[in-house]
Amino acid sequence: MTMFNQEFAVSSLEQAELERDARRLIVDYTYAIDDGKLADWPGFFSDPCLYRITTRENEQNNLPLSIMLCDNQAMLYDRVEAIERANIFEPHYYRHVLSDSVTRKIGADQIEMDTSFHCVRTMLDGRMMLFAAGRYADRIVREDGVCRFRSRTVVLDSSRVDTLIALPL
Amino acid sequence: LTKVNTQVNESTVRWPVEGVRRIPFEVYSSQDVFDQEQRDIFRGPIWHFLGLEVQVPEPGCYVLAQMGEVPIIVVRHEDGSIGALVNRCSHKGTPLAFVPSGKVANFMCIYHNWCFDLEGKMLSAAFERGVKGKGGMASTFRKEDNGLQRVRVHTVCGLIFGTLNAATPSFEDYLGADLIANIHRVCGRPLRLLGKYSQSLPSNWKLYIENVKDPYHASILHAFNGVMKQDRLTMEGGITMGARGWSHISYSKMTTDLGGEIYETAQMRNAELAAYGFGLRDKSMTDVWDDFGDSVSMTIQTIFPNFVLQQLRNCLAVRTIVPVGTHESELRWIAFGYQDDDERKTNGRLKQANMMGPAGLIAMEDGMIGSLVQKGIAGSLDRAAVVEMGGHGIEPIPGSRVSEGSVRGFWTGYRALMGL
Repeated sequence: MTMFNQEFAVSSLEQAELERDARRLIVDYTYAIDDGKLADWPGFFSDPCLYRITTRENEQNNLPLSIMLCDNQAMLYDRVEAIERANIFEPHYYRHVLSDSVTRKIGADQIEMDTSFHCVRTMLDGRMMLFAAGRYADRIVREDGVCRFRSRTVVLDSSRVDTLIALPL
Repeated sequence: LTKVNTQVNESTVRWPVEGVRRIPFEVYSSQDVFDQEQRDIFRGPIWHFLGLEVQVPEPGCYVLAQMGEVPIIVVRHEDGSIGALVNRCSHKGTPLAFVPSGKVANFMCIYHNWCFDLEGKMLSAAFERGVKGKGGMASTFRKEDNGLQRVRVHTVCGLIFGTLNAATPSFEDYLGADLIANIHRVCGRPLRLLGKYSQSLPSNWKLYIENVKDPYHASILHAFNGVMKQDRLTMEGGITMGARGWSHISYSKMTTDLGGEIYETAQMRNAELAAYGFGLRDKSMTDVWDDFGDSVSMTIQTIFPNFVLQQLRNCLAVRTIVPVGTHESELRWIAFGYQDDDERKTNGRLKQANMMGPAGLIAMEDGMIGSLVQKGIAGSLDRAAVVEMGGHGIEPIPGSRVSEGSVRGFWTGYRALMGL
C-alpha cells in the first residue's frame, strides 16, 4: 500500500477524505436498499460499472458464474424495472448490518474497500430469517467530487440461497 | 454387504379414479409418501444425475452428490473411468468424504481409519491385526466382503448418471432415442464448467419438477418471458416425450412467433405489461446466437424423476431437485459452456445467466410458486389438482405446447414405481 500511495502522491488528508466519502457511499447504498428506494439503486454506480452477486465457493474455484450480473447502468435500470413490474415474489424487506470497512488499496480518486454484512429478510406476515452473510468487495471512484461504485461484488458465504433473490443485496 | 430387513410404511394414498389428470394433494405433504419415494423411486429403478465429468478432471478427483437421501461420492478412477460409491463407511456408516469436492489417493474414514481404494475396495483398517498379537479383527472378518457399496454408473456426453437398483433398464431404454439425441445436441462438445449454486425451496420436490414439465405456465407466471418474447406459446415449438412418457423435452423457436395478439389482448399480466411498455434498455443480454444451427432457441429436457437439462438461448445448465423433507427441497444448478467458446461467447452465457437461478429474471418465480401451492393445499389433502390442459393422456399434440401432457407423463411414471 505504501508503494501505491507514493505512486499517486496522495496526502494522508486527501486519503482520509476519500475514505470518509467512500464509507458514506457504502452506508447510503445500504439504507436506500433497506428503505425500499430501489429506483435510487442505479445512481450509486458509475457507468460503465459492474454489480454482481457470487458465492465464496465459485470465487475460490475461479468459476465466473454470477447469481446476478449487471455490467452497465442500463442493466441496473432493467433489473429495477423487472423487479417492480415483471417479476413476482412475496413482498419482503431487507435489513443489512455492516461491519466497519477495510481499505485494501487507495489512490488519488479511487479506493478499494471490503465490508462484511449480514442481511435479515422479513416477510409481510412476520417471518424473519438471516437471509445472507458475506462480503462486499468494492472499487469506488470519485467523479466530479462524488463517490460511486465502479464495481461492487457481493460474495455470499453460502452457496445456497433461500427461495429467491429478488432485491439486490 | 450388510443388509437387514427394514419396513417402510406403505402410503395410504388412494389415487382418484380419473387417473393422472388428477393429482391428490396428499402426495405433496405425507411423510409416508416421502419415505416410500426414497425406497421405490430414489433407490428404485431410475437413472439419477450425479454430476459432470468436468467436475472430476483427474484420477482421484471426487465430488459429492445425493440420490434422494443417500449420499454419493462420484470419483474418477486411476484408469480415467468414472465410478460412484455410497458415501458410507462399511464399518459404522460414517461418510468417507464430507468436503463437497477434492482430490484423494484413496478414501480413509476419519472415525477408525478404514481405507478403501477409489473403486471402493477395502484396503485396510487401523489395528486390524491388533497390537503385538493381541486384539484385532475377528478371524471371520473378510476385507473383500466389506468394500463400499458401488453405484451402477452411465456417462453420456460428460453427464454422469447412477442407479442403486439392479432392475434399472439400460439408459437408452430408460430415456428413448429422441431424448438421448438432445443430450448429444446440447452436451456433444467438451464442456467448460462456469459455476454452481443452489436454492432451498420450502416445498415438496415434485412441485418443482411438475413446474419444469409444464410449458403452460412459462410465459404466464414468468411475465418476463412473455413480454420480452423469449418464450411464448404462440411460437413454433412442441413437446417430445421420452420412453413411456416419463421424461420429456419442451422446445420453441423464438424467431418464429406465429403472431396473434393473444398476449397483448387476453386477460393476462402480459397484456398489462405490454400496455405499460415494458422493455429492456440494455440489449447485450438479448444478443444471442444460434449454438446448434437449428434455430431452436429453448429446450427444457427432464429425465425422470428429478433432472433438468436447460438451453435458454445460449444459457446452458443442469438442475437437480433434491428431496429434503415433505416440505423442503434443494434445487442444485450447474452452469456450463464449451471449452472452445471464445471470450465473447463465455461472456454472453454469463450475462444470459441473469435469466436463471435464484435471481433469474425468468426462473425467479419457480423458486416460490411451489411454496405458495403448498400453503394453498394445506388442510385440503383429501382434494386433488386438476390437470386437463391438452386432454387426459400423455400423447403430445403435434406443434403445440398448450398442454400439460408432460406433467401427466411424470405422474404416469410416479404411479408405476409407487404402485399408486
